[in-house]
Amino acid sequence: MADKHVIVEQLVKTYPGSGAPSVDHVDFDLEKGEMLALLGPSGCGKTTILRMVAGLITPTSGRIRLDGRDMAEIPVHKRNMGMVFQSYALFPHMSVAENVAFGLEMRGVPKAERAARVERALDLVKLRGYGERRITQLSGGQQQRCAIARSLVIEPQLLLLDEPLSNLDAKLRDEMREEIRDIQARTGVTAIFVTHDQDEALSMADRLAVMSAGRIEQIGTPRQIFDRPATEFVANFIGAGNFLTGTVVEPHQANVPGLGMVVFGLDAPLGKDVRLLVRPHRFTLNGKGENAFEGVVRHLVYRGDTLTLDVDVKDRTFLVDLPTHAGTLPERGDRVTLTVARDDVTVIGTAA
Amino acid sequence: METSLPAKFAWRLLIGLLYVFLLAPIIIVFVVSFDTRQYLAFPPESLSFGSYVKVFQNADFISAFWRSLLIGAIVGLGAVTVGTLISLALTRYRFRGEGAVNFLVIAPFIVPNIVLGVGLVLVLAGFGLLDTYPGIVLAHLGITIPYTVRTVSMSLMSVDRRVEEAALVHGASPFNVFWRITLPLIRPGIIAGGVIAFLISFDETTISLFIVSVRSSTLPTEIYRYLEYSTDPQIAALSVVLILISVAVVIVLERLIGLRKAV
Repeated sequence: MADKHVIVEQLVKTYPGSGAPSVDHVDFDLEKGEMLALLGPSGCGKTTILRMVAGLITPTSGRIRLDGRDMAEIPVHKRNMGMVFQSYALFPHMSVAENVAFGLEMRGVPKAERAARVERALDLVKLRGYGERRITQLSGGQQQRCAIARSLVIEPQLLLLDEPLSNLDAKLRDEMREEIRDIQARTGVTAIFVTHDQDEALSMADRLAVMSAGRIEQIGTPRQIFDRPATEFVANFIGAGNFLTGTVVEPHQANVPGLGMVVFGLDAPLGKDVRLLVRPHRFTLNGKGENAFEGVVRHLVYRGDTLTLDVDVKDRTFLVDLPTHAGTLPERGDRVTLTVARDDVTVIGTAA
Repeated sequence: METSLPAKFAWRLLIGLLYVFLLAPIIIVFVVSFDTRQYLAFPPESLSFGSYVKVFQNADFISAFWRSLLIGAIVGLGAVTVGTLISLALTRYRFRGEGAVNFLVIAPFIVPNIVLGVGLVLVLAGFGLLDTYPGIVLAHLGITIPYTVRTVSMSLMSVDRRVEEAALVHGASPFNVFWRITLPLIRPGIIAGGVIAFLISFDETTISLFIVSVRSSTLPTEIYRYLEYSTDPQIAALSVVLILISVAVVIVLERLIGLRKAV
């Protein structure tokens, strides 16, 4: 624990006049070079956490440690962090190069070295030759790159990104997603980024912390979060799902009222009620499997690479995603058999 | 929107008349200033630059002009400095007595100048500051600071707080954030406030009349005193000079920084 690069312990922020805390006893840590996503709906406290780490907001209680140092007594400008803002927050009265050089200037880096490092930072974000431009002459994506260069040039001990992609259009967003990941990997900078976009979090972060109402619901690798959601909130927030409630009657078997026996791969205590989750794309059609449910296709949407079905099985409806390469596709009103392997039935709360 | 031709014409005429109404006094003063007679009358009979020559030969006017310029400059700088500090406090911090400061800042807008004048006489006399530079500067600061607070506050409110935060996070001390980021961004408001303060001080008569006598008389008080004994085109000529100075200041600044954007 002690040798982690970033350690956040029991962090709380309660704003005066508001009853419930905005951030409620949050714990997490980061290894050096790791990228952590704080993911959650707006108002869940993720940005408040980021701003507390930066020092822009004072925590009500709790500790933030960076590289072994307690941040409580260290003012914002001495924390040696970089931050990329949602609105970029570039200095509008300075050129691109002046923006990037700012942090170095504040650290008293000599002029010649400064120029060289600015040049390298602009290279890194593919803005070579843009140094003399005004901020207003840059496109949204270029402003984004400039903001990243400004944060990285100071070689921060921690890079903070606050919804860095939400002001970009969809195509550029995908591009920058990979680029930020690439830059982060190349510089080896430790980073925390805040987002409400699950795709972004899953594809960019080494680990993600899913938040709701000021608390971390679950923290883990993208795979753990997706396949082994700790709570129903996490299962719902990340991807779609079919939820079943049943009682464990035998090892790996639950009786789901109105559906029958469902087999699952994880361990769950006998006699207990469990919530089961099946992701829509884990179903197969008319195949073989331990869990087979007969039903009727009530509705279908063709999405090019997937076919989304609503299948009525007894008194419930399953959401099913099928790949479209699978030969003949079912039509509305067809009787189908859905199958799902036991390892694709997740028991919520058995986080691995 | 489609507008009929007569309606358009009527609208333009109305605007034209409005301009005439507003500018008529200035135009008449301008014409009268070239009259050769020793009293103010319209229209003039014959024209010359004689009054202008006399104005520039009038030692009282010239020394009062330099005094006004100096006082205006000090007031402009002072009002901007104090106004910026007050604006920072009002827009950036919440503090006890914020409402009181807010009220104090707009009070000079509400209280008639003549009342302020009487009050200032009583206060300044107690400190022996009547008819002194510090006395008149203090009085003018009191009535100009509300304007600088307004212009600077408006500029401050348009500054994105995230930009200041970005500077702070990337290593600028709070002082450097102000010096390198905030100050350059609110410069239009500061310059506009300074110019307005200067112009108000340069032009202020009512309060000055209470405070100044011989040693610190400003140009407007000098004109007022002159008018008590004589009414000749010199006054018109001097007025034209004053108008031209004000216009010149505004034009230069408009060209330099776009004053209209800042006010």
